[in-house]
Amino acid sequence: MSEMLWLIRKTLMETFRSKKSWFTYLGLPIAGVLLSLTMYSNAGSGTIHVGIINQDGDQVITQDSIRFIERLNHVEVTVVDEQTMREQIVSGELDSGIVFEPGYAASVREGAPAHLNIVSVKGEQVTAYVKAMLHSYIGNLAAIGKAVQADEAKFTKLYAAYHEQSYKLSTVALQNNSNVARMTNQSIGFLIMFMMFSAVDMSEIILKEKGNRTFLRLLSSPMSARSYVFSNIIVSMFILLLQIIVTLLVMKNVFGIDAGVPYSQMILPLFVFALGAIALSLMTVAFAKSRAGAGAISNLIIVPTCLLAGCFFPMEIMPVTVRNISAFLPQHWLLDTVNKLQQGYSLGSLYLNIAILLAFATVFALIAIYRFGRNNDSRQFV
Amino acid sequence: MSHVLEIRQLTKKFGDFVAVDNMSLNVREGEIFGFLGANGAGKSTTINMIASLLRVTKGEITLLGKNIEKHSKFAKMNIGIVPQDIAIYEDMTAYENVRFFAGLYGLRGPLLRERTEEALEFVGLGDKATSFPKNFSGGMKRRLNIACAIAHRPKLIIMDEPTVGIDPHSRNYILNSVRKLNDMGCTIIYTSHYMEEVEEICTRIAIVDHGKVIAEGTKEQLKAIITDAKEIWIGVRADEPLNLEALKAIAGVNAVLQEENTIKIVSKTEINNLNQIIQQLIKDQVEIRSVEEQAPNLETVFLTLTGRNLRD
Ligand SMILES: Nc1ncnc2c1ncn2[C@@H]1O[C@H](COP(=O)(O)OP(=O)(O)OP(=O)(O)O)[C@@H](O)[C@H]1O
Ligand SMILES: [Mg+2]
Repeated sequence: MSEMLWLIRKTLMETFRSKKSWFTYLGLPIAGVLLSLTMYSNAGSGTIHVGIINQDGDQVITQDSIRFIERLNHVEVTVVDEQTMREQIVSGELDSGIVFEPGYAASVREGAPAHLNIVSVKGEQVTAYVKAMLHSYIGNLAAIGKAVQADEAKFTKLYAAYHEQSYKLSTVALQNNSNVARMTNQSIGFLIMFMMFSAVDMSEIILKEKGNRTFLRLLSSPMSARSYVFSNIIVSMFILLLQIIVTLLVMKNVFGIDAGVPYSQMILPLFVFALGAIALSLMTVAFAKSRAGAGAISNLIIVPTCLLAGCFFPMEIMPVTVRNISAFLPQHWLLDTVNKLQQGYSLGSLYLNIAILLAFATVFALIAIYRFGRNNDSRQFV
Repeated sequence: MSHVLEIRQLTKKFGDFVAVDNMSLNVREGEIFGFLGANGAGKSTTINMIASLLRVTKGEITLLGKNIEKHSKFAKMNIGIVPQDIAIYEDMTAYENVRFFAGLYGLRGPLLRERTEEALEFVGLGDKATSFPKNFSGGMKRRLNIACAIAHRPKLIIMDEPTVGIDPHSRNYILNSVRKLNDMGCTIIYTSHYMEEVEEICTRIAIVDHGKVIAEGTKEQLKAIITDAKEIWIGVRADEPLNLEALKAIAGVNAVLQEENTIKIVSKTEINNLNQIIQQLIKDQVEIRSVEEQAPNLETVFLTLTGRNLRD
């Protein structure tokens, strides 16, 4: 036990002495947060201010369209007149202006939406979200309009039915799509990848020590091979936990990202995932002949699986087959857990996700142990 | 005299390959025990088994009266191993290296500091304590490699070719420190490819070939095995192609070996075959530059017994 602590101390000291470690273990995940921030935060505080001018009167469709925009997350709507809108857009109080011109409702009902004017100064990205949501909404209405061929009574009936379900649908979907949640998921996505790489880095110490023979010297001391590997695992766990905590702290306190979940709740699933990453890296090391080999295998595994599991892009844009494959990837289960936490599930209700993550860790660890044990001489591995 | 190390019918197999073959040896307290063998003879394999780095296939190793497999911790505490391949951390200072390895043996605090400094002084690296080994010469790395093995003051120190590929200054330093360690009461097992070294410092020697001990004893005892042999050295051109088989076929010749521009021939003393040897060389159109007869030395013994040179 005492020699394990001695080895752990030395490994930590050796690790944190190199600038490269600071960069890989802490710098990269923080850079990941920064990158996510720039990817999704064009809207400044996260709220888009939209001014609306209604020149189409009290038409139901027009009123509903305005209400639809009001209900979008992170969108704040003010109904204004033309003069004020112009001034406020120029002064930056408004990010975007939407003008419903006379005849808008009628054109939608006829299936050929027109008389809608969207202006913005902050550039495409800011209003792209509002625009996209509005277009899909209007598109649906227009489709109904086309189908009923200007039959007013039929339209009203279908429209009412559509409205009822679409409101529900869009609110659920919207919660998922809010920029801040995306930012959180993206940062976690990057963190996942960097944790996996860090785990490999740490486990590769075993191969490095074999290469420079210090491994054999260690084993000729009162230290056993088992305590040696165990010490390595403890150091990895420490570093990955540090990585998790620092990343979350930076997200919360430095960038003020509201994850939509208490940060403390994310530590457990992230750490369980970290165990899996460590077990996987040990497995890689057990099979690899050299450090270069281990590096190549893990590159081959980590990046593509992270991609498939949705660490870099939202899952919604992936084809269905990919979404199905991702169920076999531990990263998916971690992201899914974070997602569900954001949707308001309690951590306790997500025990299945945690259990699946633990199962991945166990399987990887068992394969690594089996492989280590099969090596010619158990005291020497390989 | 008590035995520090006893090896009984030790065998190590790698698959079907027998690297150590039913070897038995005793190392007595206070000895510098030389372990001589050509490449692949099984020296490192034996040493790794003594150091608990390899599992024994068959047989038994006893250290200070205790079976090393049953008392693994005891054995490890009392052995210091200087591995054939340098085993140090390049990104830790010399001091930190020694301190770390000594710490694995349970040393802490002021005692640890004292022993670490002592070990570094001992190998002449006292003034290099805060330097990183990546800036060291081969000889300095070898010395640090030794310091890491002795700081915990083991009873038995095993040195696996500690002088490979280093400058004469470092070599002398190492040989002197081996003697000094011995004077301080350590028992030492020493392997080397350099016959002169072994002849110079070892009190007893075992010659190993193909995993077996083929001779064992003091220098004098070993030389006595071959009182009836002499060694003839014939100087030739270094790039001369030679028909060594024909020389071996000559009556009385025990072993023939070419080492750069010298042909070394071990032959029976009582048979005068020098004429035949020279005639054969002339027939093969070899340019003879010198001929001299050597008094039998350890190398003659080794050549006679193994038919191989110690170095490739
Ligand atoms: N792990 C292993 N697996 C298979 N064969 C091995 C292994 N280790 C050593 N050997 C073989 O066992 C034989 C003895 O090797 P060993 O290293 O003990 O020789 P040595 O006497 O130390 O030689 P050298 O002077 O070159 O260091 C060699 O033929 C070597 O190839
Ligand atoms: Mg060897």
